[in-house]
Amino acid sequence: MSSPLTLPPEPAAQRSRSLLLVLGGALIVATYVFLVTVQPTEIAGGMGSAASLVSLVGFLGGGALLVGGILPMLTTSSLVVIPLGIALNIAIGQIAGSLGMQIYLDAIGTVLVAVLAGPAAGAATGALSNALWGLFNPFALPFAAGAALIGLLAGLAAKHGAFRRVYFAPVAGLVVGAIGGIVAAPVAVFMFGAAGTFGTNAIIAVFRSMGDKLLVAATKQGLLSDSLDKIVVFVVVALIVYALPQRAVRQFPFARTHRVLGERSGGRATTPAGADTAAR
Amino acid sequence: MITVRSESFTYDDGVPLLSGVQLAVGAGEYVVVAGASGSGKTTLARLLAGLVGSDAGCRFRGSITLAGETVRFDGSPADPRIDRAAWSAAVAFVSQGAWGQLSMMSATVAEEIAFGPSNRGVPTEELRRSVHDVAASLRLTSLLGRDPRRLSGGQLQRTIIAAAVVQRPRVLVLDEPFHGLDEDSAAEVAAALDALRGAGTAVVVCDAMLPRSGPADARVLALAEGHPVFSGLLTEARWAGLRRYGIGTAGDPPGLPDGLGSRTGGLGSHPDDGEPTDHAGVRPQDSPTGAGAATPSPVVLTDVGFHHPTGAGESAPTSDTRSDSDTGPAGAGLSGITLTVRAGEIVAVRGPNGSGKTTLLQHLNGLHRADTGTVSVLGQQIRRQPTGTFAGDVGYLFQDTDQQLFERTVLREVAYGPLAAGVRRSEALRRAADALDVVGLGFVRELHPYELGFVQRRLVALASIIATGSTVWVLDEPTGGLDESARTGLARLLRRHARSGGAVVMATHDAAFATAVAHRTIWLDGGRLVPDDPGTDGRMDGRTVEAEPADRRRGLGWGHGRTAGEAQDSQDGRS
Amino acid sequence: MPRRRTLNPLTELLGAVLLVVLVLVVNRWEFSLAVLLLVVVPAVLVSGQPRRIGVAIVLVAGPLLLSSVLLHGLFFPEGRVVLLDLGPARVTQEGLVFAALMGLRMSVFTGVLLTTAMTLDLPDLIATMTHRGWNRKLVFIIGSALGLLPHVALRARQITRAQQARGLVVGRGPLSRLRALLMVTTPLVIGLLVDASERNHMLEARGFSSSGPRTSYLPDTDTAAQRTGRRVATVAVLLFAAAWLVIGAVA
Repeated sequence: MSSPLTLPPEPAAQRSRSLLLVLGGALIVATYVFLVTVQPTEIAGGMGSAASLVSLVGFLGGGALLVGGILPMLTTSSLVVIPLGIALNIAIGQIAGSLGMQIYLDAIGTVLVAVLAGPAAGAATGALSNALWGLFNPFALPFAAGAALIGLLAGLAAKHGAFRRVYFAPVAGLVVGAIGGIVAAPVAVFMFGAAGTFGTNAIIAVFRSMGDKLLVAATKQGLLSDSLDKIVVFVVVALIVYALPQRAVRQFPFARTHRVLGERSGGRATTPAGADTAAR
Repeated sequence: MITVRSESFTYDDGVPLLSGVQLAVGAGEYVVVAGASGSGKTTLARLLAGLVGSDAGCRFRGSITLAGETVRFDGSPADPRIDRAAWSAAVAFVSQGAWGQLSMMSATVAEEIAFGPSNRGVPTEELRRSVHDVAASLRLTSLLGRDPRRLSGGQLQRTIIAAAVVQRPRVLVLDEPFHGLDEDSAAEVAAALDALRGAGTAVVVCDAMLPRSGPADARVLALAEGHPVFSGLLTEARWAGLRRYGIGTAGDPPGLPDGLGSRTGGLGSHPDDGEPTDHAGVRPQDSPTGAGAATPSPVVLTDVGFHHPTGAGESAPTSDTRSDSDTGPAGAGLSGITLTVRAGEIVAVRGPNGSGKTTLLQHLNGLHRADTGTVSVLGQQIRRQPTGTFAGDVGYLFQDTDQQLFERTVLREVAYGPLAAGVRRSEALRRAADALDVVGLGFVRELHPYELGFVQRRLVALASIIATGSTVWVLDEPTGGLDESARTGLARLLRRHARSGGAVVMATHDAAFATAVAHRTIWLDGGRLVPDDPGTDGRMDGRTVEAEPADRRRGLGWGHGRTAGEAQDSQDGRS
Repeated sequence: MPRRRTLNPLTELLGAVLLVVLVLVVNRWEFSLAVLLLVVVPAVLVSGQPRRIGVAIVLVAGPLLLSSVLLHGLFFPEGRVVLLDLGPARVTQEGLVFAALMGLRMSVFTGVLLTTAMTLDLPDLIATMTHRGWNRKLVFIIGSALGLLPHVALRARQITRAQQARGLVVGRGPLSRLRALLMVTTPLVIGLLVDASERNHMLEARGFSSSGPRTSYLPDTDTAAQRTGRRVATVAVLLFAAAWLVIGAVA
């Protein structure tokens, strides 16, 4: 195998930068815990410069460390789908945003990449798409860590079979969305005073009129909207991947080895409908 | 130089392809691998490119010898893995589908060409030098500063070729490099290949048809269903009867006329079936609509004018499938178009790129709305109704049919049209199955559309229109990329539709096809109807359309054909 | 008319980020207002495309500001000074002040970043990243995603037209919209994945997996002075932030 035209039989072990991953994850968790437990000077005397700074630096820095740890692990086949996941996120998210919808639909690309190429690629897609979207819409920027979390969780859910049946997908979406909503709430509160679209702000207003603190109201709203959003996103992604030709799915080792789509990820699918036609 | 010996090649559980195929390419040779859709020519191209073992689900048994070194494959997981970076330094590959071969991270053509060497760390000055060298030899110098996503089809294809050969490989393998190109663009690409061959690069072109012209020593390997059926010189291949394997010659008319009536049961009943096609201008429907004036003509355009909204020009549908379609950045609008298409009539719309052909076609189903004048389809004037409401009456075949496919089986895909038109589900599925039988795809009903080849996918889109039962068929470059049998089949279907009282309007660059199938041809230039072909030298002399020299269609101009330079001259010469 | 460039895009981007950090650290409405009036507004005016950038800022920040004023102006249970009682909703002075402060901060945030982003020379930025030896995978993802964006949007429009030609009429109900979304995204995703699979082969053939630094066709517009400047500015802002926060905590 010393031929110059062939590669060594075993693929070179990908360097893993687990230190960066651990650091990034720890920074994000620490930031969240700090924001929620310390709840620095909620409202009373202005908004506390430390809180917004911590949320920006902690979540962005944590996201950057995660991406730095993930990049060396990515194969070329995962690498080429991340940009298209990012482009899908932004393109569809812009449309949904401009229509003033109550849901964001800005994670379709992230979840799609996570289902096909795994949790690491999904997390990188989420973090980088919010970072890049920040170029067009700066309000997306601080949510990078939350988006990475969505990609990570979607990939793990896919690995454990959430996309093998279409009715599992909304359940997984509900759980992932709830977690994502809880994580995103402090960012929204401390960076922007929970400003969002009219739809999401109306929900916050309801809780505020019942006397909730802003962070509590925003968290409840996050639980509602993000869950609904991720239920729709997961169902849409499930329906898209079921409609993919096998050849397109097979090019992803993750989807193949973990049988992410059930029998659709490997051998020929049994045909679902139409076999009963009256035609000869 | 490079030799492929294939004992067998299998995709998944499929039938073995390429059994007993051997192809050796020597330095500076020109080899055409010809075969209809599904013949295995793409597989052979990918073997030459060293793309083996990289796609999961393929098993290759055989060997590839490159520059004296033999790599052996047994179809087992222990097979060697080819180092594609090293391989491509000797054998460059240009596959189908332009977008997948752009890195998408280059803002200019020059950066895209430089992408490979810059990955290998070639210093900037040397990078610029080699980019300029290769650009000069492929006549790309003036395009180096352009955005690769905004090029015409021929320019894009030459950019991709330049990016593949900037490392000076000894062999260049191209899979259907002329697919979707009009004749001038094809001539540009052919001239580029000619220039590379002049510099000593061997060229392997995989195509569905034999080129009309080529270098005197060009060789042909013809494949049919994975087996070699001919190997020899191009000059001999033309007379080797390859048509029975579905391999025609570019620019020939579709194999319609002789024996058609007797062979095809369902189609043979009509009296004009056996009629020779070359009476085109005067032929069928001597009494156009049986019902006389009672039925209105299916398509009536009266003094239609249209301008592309400013700014939308850039975003207008042009980019995909390297279409040199008419609505490019400088896409013409329309002015003063008056056209009536009678029932039973097939009208070809022709004209140079950017003349407004696609724009005109898209007025017929409401994708574009006329600024002035009126458009009526089946007696109903198109005003502000949603575009989707015309789908039942007007079947539209896009140049890039893949943009329409979204269902997971062919049958469901075809059934969508009738369902959207309000037909009951069981009836829609029955119609879909019938339509698939009509286009000869009944046996792939339950497959995913993307598991079919390009040609079959286009037939699926056609079957959709048939199943919907639309009276008016509007087809944009329907023959682009089709192989011989599909092209002939399409001709037959169009004539059958016309005989049953339908109307067909098609934009096409395929002169021979238009001549054989259409009852009349209208010419567009700059968004206006012109009396005759404005784009060609010697065409203003009033000769009829039928006299069109067939070799204009695909100017694979080696030696005596038209090169890009000559094409340029002739364009300059008109006016 | 693009303005003359003196700074490398990487320097511009870092400058914008540091400015945002400063605004967050100082956290005084006087400072935010000063940045808005003295930095953002002049930058937009000399950008050569004031109208385009102005419209973008209004489009991005406007709805947020408005909904923020409605939310905090009407519902602010912590408010003590009630200006107007509307039953469940109460207009309070504290709420309005909070909305104004947040609105000012959001305007600065949007203004600084959007102005920088919309005047950024992206090819030059990618080239600088390459010249500075950034991870080639990261540079590819960023460059390719930005390059794909207009392509994806264009393709989505084309597919929408193609599906309309087949009879797609988007209704008002959520199910009809979901169906339309699927009809457009499915062919879009399939096409993009087919491309990506081909691009995978292309990257390998073009030596993307090789180790060692990449080079760029574009010249390096970065200078040693700017590199030093970026480091100094980063350290200075960090030191200032630490000092400001410590002083604030002590005081």
